[in-house]
Amino acid sequence: MKRGWIVASGLFLALFVFIIWQSWSLPFLDELGPGPGFFPIWLAGIGAVLSVLLMIETARGPADPPDETLVPPRDAMFRIAAVVVLLSMAAFCLEWLGWRITATAFVLLLLPALGARSPLAILPVAAIAGFGVFHVFYYWLKVPLPIGTFGI
Amino acid sequence: METLDHLLAGFAAAMSLQNLAFALAGCILGTLVGVLPGVGPAAGTAILIPLTFNIDPAGAIIMLSAIYYGAMYGGTITSVLLNVPGEAASVITCIDGFQMARQGRGGAALGIAAIGSFIGGTIAVMALVVVAAPLATLALKFGPPEFFALMLFGLCLVTGLAGRSLIAGIMMTSVGLMISLIGIDPVRGAPRFTFGMPELYDGLGFIPVVMGLFGVGEILATAEKPYREIIKTNLRKILPTREEWRASFGPIMRGTGLGFFLGLIPGVGAIIPTFMSYIMEKRLSKTPERFGKGAIEGVAGPETANNSYANAAMLPLLTLGIPSSPTIAILMGAFIVNGLTPGPFLFAEKPVLVWTIIASFFIGNVMLLILNLPLVGLWAKILEIPYQYICAGTLVFCMIGSYSINSSLFDVWVMLIFGVIGYLLRKLDFPLAPAVLGLILGPQLEKSLRTSLEMSAGDFSIFLTRPITVTLLVLSVIVLAISALNLAPKQIREASDD
Repeated sequence: MKRGWIVASGLFLALFVFIIWQSWSLPFLDELGPGPGFFPIWLAGIGAVLSVLLMIETARGPADPPDETLVPPRDAMFRIAAVVVLLSMAAFCLEWLGWRITATAFVLLLLPALGARSPLAILPVAAIAGFGVFHVFYYWLKVPLPIGTFGI
Repeated sequence: METLDHLLAGFAAAMSLQNLAFALAGCILGTLVGVLPGVGPAAGTAILIPLTFNIDPAGAIIMLSAIYYGAMYGGTITSVLLNVPGEAASVITCIDGFQMARQGRGGAALGIAAIGSFIGGTIAVMALVVVAAPLATLALKFGPPEFFALMLFGLCLVTGLAGRSLIAGIMMTSVGLMISLIGIDPVRGAPRFTFGMPELYDGLGFIPVVMGLFGVGEILATAEKPYREIIKTNLRKILPTREEWRASFGPIMRGTGLGFFLGLIPGVGAIIPTFMSYIMEKRLSKTPERFGKGAIEGVAGPETANNSYANAAMLPLLTLGIPSSPTIAILMGAFIVNGLTPGPFLFAEKPVLVWTIIASFFIGNVMLLILNLPLVGLWAKILEIPYQYICAGTLVFCMIGSYSINSSLFDVWVMLIFGVIGYLLRKLDFPLAPAVLGLILGPQLEKSLRTSLEMSAGDFSIFLTRPITVTLLVLSVIVLAISALNLAPKQIREASDD
């Protein structure tokens, strides 16, 4: 946890320094008063100082218990990676394949990856997620969901 | 008298078949959101916003508000039966509610929670009716400096009470405010941090960011520890005995007052009234040793305070345009998506809409009592749905929600990226609530600060010469000092991330 906080504070510091650098080109003050750069520079300046303070506070704080780890066990890591990878793939394919195919495939792959085993449950749930949800949102609620290159 | 006329007109509109259906749908979905562990009210409200895209603004807000306070009811069920709070405010209910379930009194625990929630919620809405119009009128006299000080006070409360480190809380607020700066400058119209990407000219969408932080982030955290044990308890006998009634009456009344009072203060999260109610009941009890071993007062008081708070917390949003918690901030986002800006002008410009929403709170509380008392067994059955299906359903809704706002894949990527960030921050125990409030309040905060400084020709003393701003700034400093000195109870700090 301690190392995680120090790394996170370092990343926040980098973000705030980047914002200050980007805001430098914006007018700080203009003829009417504070310009577009006024608030970001103040805010990122405060954020940068706080990041450094947080780093110091964490470094000075007590050490983590020896058995504490932030890395999840291997099976949990697999489930987390499955969610992220499948969501990324769904985002890549959504407009190309359309909602119905993408969502059906997404749920069809996600459920076994998370540990579901019964095809009798997985198949209907995937079909509902793809075709049922599309019907409800597209036709009943008039929410625009993508139709892919195959017209589905 | 004018208030009563407005309220009656609101009831007439809220009782239309269409609005009743929206309220009922919201109550059912909200209870479901509360029941499902891993889907908090913030995530639940955010992912269900797409359902309201093509319905009229009043119906949309009625439904989303019902989802919000429905989740407060539903969260109790998992606290009692699983010892896992469905939402943060039900953390304290786990202590005595779960013990009652183990003793075979789970039905009574859920029954008194539903009845207490109904009484607390209804009385809070009555009080809201009395206070709302005068407060909105007063707020019309607020200028940019007062609004800046008020928003700063709200942010300080959320920041000061969130997480284990004050510095981390303020930093997360800065991160939220920073994200809100992306896009067109609200005062001069200049693009900022857009890097030549047209998608960034309107800023990062609030809904994809929140869906990512709370929806996808929570799913990733749930995927890490998915297994849970459900307690088998007697759910047939849900009405409390006469003795239990007698023991619960005082806690319910005190919880109502406490929840309402704390709900009026912008920035006080839902967790605080429940903890304060529990501590108060334990102190007032002649037999405090029963607390933690299945005392019904330990369920009745906090659950009432929770729902009284949930209804009262709509007051700062409706009258001042200030959200009290991430979930209310998401509701504020829903108002904006529907072309409405909550605050005093909404009362003046669209009184029928505002009073229809308020009237719907009464109706929603009745619906929730009916849904929760006889149907508690059905909700308990939902807990048996394997987590894999809940994860898949939530992610499907997150994809719909993020895509359909602008029909843009960019928003799906934003949701995914913020989901991973939300998961990592959750792992590290960084508070997310200040970031969300910073994100929603950022544009208004910047606008009121810059307009105030334009009024004073750049002189910061404008904030020190007006009585309301001085009071609010002093209160902000006090809140931060309390947090810096670690005077707030540890449990509240650890659990107040909504």
